[in-house]
Amino acid sequence: MNLLYILSRAVLILVGCWLLNNAANSAEPLRLGNPGEPETLDPHRYNLRLEETILTDLFLGLTTFDAHGQIVPGAAAAWTTSDNGLIWTFNLRRGLKWSDGKPLTAADFVYAFRRLLAPETAASLAYFMYPLRNAEAVNSGELPAEELGVRAVDEHTLVIALEAPYPHLAERLLYPTGYPVPAHVIKEVGDAWVKPQNWVSNGAYRLEDWQPQSHVTLVRNKHFFDPATIERVIYHPLANEQSSYNRYRAKEVHAISNFPSGELDRIRENLTGHLRLSPLLSIVYLVFNTTAPPFDDVRVREALALVIEPEILTEKVQRSGNVANGSFVPANVVDYDPAVMPHLHLDENARHEKAITLLREAGYGTDNPLRVTMRYVSGTEAKKTQLAIASFWKNIGVETQLHHTELKVHFADLRQGDFQVAQAGWFGENNAEHYLGLLVSDTGNINYGRYANPAYDALMSAARQQADVNSRNKLLRKAEALGIAEYPVVPLYSVTIRRLVDPAITGWYENSRDVHPVRFLGWR
Amino acid sequence: MARYLLIRLGLTLLTFWLIVTVVFFLMRLAPGGPFDGERRLPPEVETNLRAAYNLDQSLPRQYIDYLAMLGRGDLGPSFRQKDFSVNELVATGLPVSLTIGGLALLIATTVGIAVGLKAGLAPNTRTDTWLMGLTNIGIALPTIIVAPLLVLIFGVALGWLPTGGLGSFNHYILPPIALAMPFTAAIARLTRGSVVETLSEGHLQTARAKGLPESLIIRRHILPIALLPVVSYLGPAAAALLTGSVVIEQVFELPGIGRYLVQGALNRDYTLVMGVVVVYAALILLFNLLVDLAYVRMDPRIRLQT
Repeated sequence: MNLLYILSRAVLILVGCWLLNNAANSAEPLRLGNPGEPETLDPHRYNLRLEETILTDLFLGLTTFDAHGQIVPGAAAAWTTSDNGLIWTFNLRRGLKWSDGKPLTAADFVYAFRRLLAPETAASLAYFMYPLRNAEAVNSGELPAEELGVRAVDEHTLVIALEAPYPHLAERLLYPTGYPVPAHVIKEVGDAWVKPQNWVSNGAYRLEDWQPQSHVTLVRNKHFFDPATIERVIYHPLANEQSSYNRYRAKEVHAISNFPSGELDRIRENLTGHLRLSPLLSIVYLVFNTTAPPFDDVRVREALALVIEPEILTEKVQRSGNVANGSFVPANVVDYDPAVMPHLHLDENARHEKAITLLREAGYGTDNPLRVTMRYVSGTEAKKTQLAIASFWKNIGVETQLHHTELKVHFADLRQGDFQVAQAGWFGENNAEHYLGLLVSDTGNINYGRYANPAYDALMSAARQQADVNSRNKLLRKAEALGIAEYPVVPLYSVTIRRLVDPAITGWYENSRDVHPVRFLGWR
Repeated sequence: MARYLLIRLGLTLLTFWLIVTVVFFLMRLAPGGPFDGERRLPPEVETNLRAAYNLDQSLPRQYIDYLAMLGRGDLGPSFRQKDFSVNELVATGLPVSLTIGGLALLIATTVGIAVGLKAGLAPNTRTDTWLMGLTNIGIALPTIIVAPLLVLIFGVALGWLPTGGLGSFNHYILPPIALAMPFTAAIARLTRGSVVETLSEGHLQTARAKGLPESLIIRRHILPIALLPVVSYLGPAAAALLTGSVVIEQVFELPGIGRYLVQGALNRDYTLVMGVVVVYAALILLFNLLVDLAYVRMDPRIRLQT
């Protein structure tokens, strides 16, 4: 029992295995870090952005993204809209096939939309397709699936009827909720169709292997109409920013979608060709509970908004690439001119004085200071940000208590209206309505602050009757200007996705949707 | 012996049931539910979801249904990992956790006993002081510090070993070492202590007087006695190693069941958390039972209190 002997033996074995292992390494698949483990790869049951990323490679909807995140024809070669904006006719590409070689027809899309909205599917994002005629009624079980406003005229023609005009339908169809699923497989194996051995899809890739918490492997679909360059893709769930960064630096993955924000300066210096920052279509904001004192008083809300300096938050406090945003609709939404908060043209002193006056009018001052509790989601960056906001407020004599909880509890409480002022966020689409809809009084519990203004509601519902995007946007802008002047929310910034991408990868373009379909990527 | 075994088994089952019950209700007490998130959930959608996962039933009903399911060996569907049942998730994760834990146990016992023996046979020499000083560091440094340090040194800076994930033999080197560190140190100190104690026992002088070679004395007369306290430590240690890799699995991004526990808890994935707890509880109870039985066998002085 000699210690040295045992140790030396162990070391010998380890070194031997290491050498053996490093010898075998040939055809290199593309390895991508994904910020977490997908909860499902069933496009109708998905819920997370990180699932969207993988599903975009596996499936093709009627419309799709190009490498720059622009909407382009997908399974549909072209489409037309009726004058009243209610009937959309899609002409499918000829010769579309599933990854098992079976032909894909308009009937497959009809099946998919009905499946998405069937109550048994329990799709949490089913409401994405509520613009379709009778969709909501079908989803709640009031009408049979056959009543849904979608039908196949022939093999190549799909007609979608809407409840009300919705000019952004082409964008809505980009999401996995609009993807077709293989009816012929699901009828045979049921829910097990998502297992790799049963997998059939219509995208540039198909599922080859899925080891939970370890990897999801996709392999090129040879039946796809425009074959991809890269043969095999492996997505690794890298939820921890530090581990993610370590694995990138150790060259174990070719791209990652998160790293510790504190490393940004160092990366700018040392990994210049690797850093990719894309401001995401998103808005992080503070929301006031408008139903209870003190924030049922618009003067208090305005006073607190007046002294927040979003640029200081993003440039000095966070320093992680986020972009300050003065309007509720993110500035990077195209074809829309957002209405910024009215106080932004005032200088710092004027805002400060106005805030103190407003507070005094509302009954708060040095003898009776305003005390508020601000809630946020636990996290280092969030903590820094909220502390900074509290210090802005301290300058006008407001005492802020900070209260943080994990994400689930935070949003559950916000939906209950159990807060005074809280951090919230919204991301996703390239249309103003997506964001402004949050402040409509009948939106439900995600109008966390229970903001209710009949004039705002009227403008929003007028906008929703417009089939033309420009006239729609004009009304939306009016609504935004009206709403933001009452400060139900304080827009703060748009989130920037920080990625590191191996410079050997080609075809990777930053875009505000932060989508990078692998079929457009290649090796230099 | 048979009666002792029966009583022990009965107690183990009772403990198991208690754990399951407490965890079941604790999970439901946590605020927020499995379907809460940032996105909007219209009421009809939420109704559909709750019905699909049996959450529309009353809590006692859900509890009885869960126990019945458990009785059939079914851990149920995962609320969040929708494409897998909890049985499937445990089946893929458990081998990983057990491998890492088993390797760590191997390292902890072999290195720990060897170091303890080396130090104990020459008490108060320079070797002893050095080795015991090292074990102090091993005990003092928590895994959450050691693991990222190992990653930074051997993974990022030197590039010798992978920083995380699974795939090849290389992936199985750093995690068990990091996991085993405090246990190795504890076992080394335990071994050293009892070796020193055994050295003063009278039967060793008899053995030496008989002219037995020193190596034989160590193997026959010192180790079996000196290892008794180590064995009793091994039960909880084995359970802690096989189940306690929660931190290690996070740092090294390993697909073991420890990660499911953390994520399941954050996601309010009731069935997944229950499933992992059931497996952990079963393992821990099993190891404790095994150690109790081993102890009875190894040390005849222990009376079976029946």
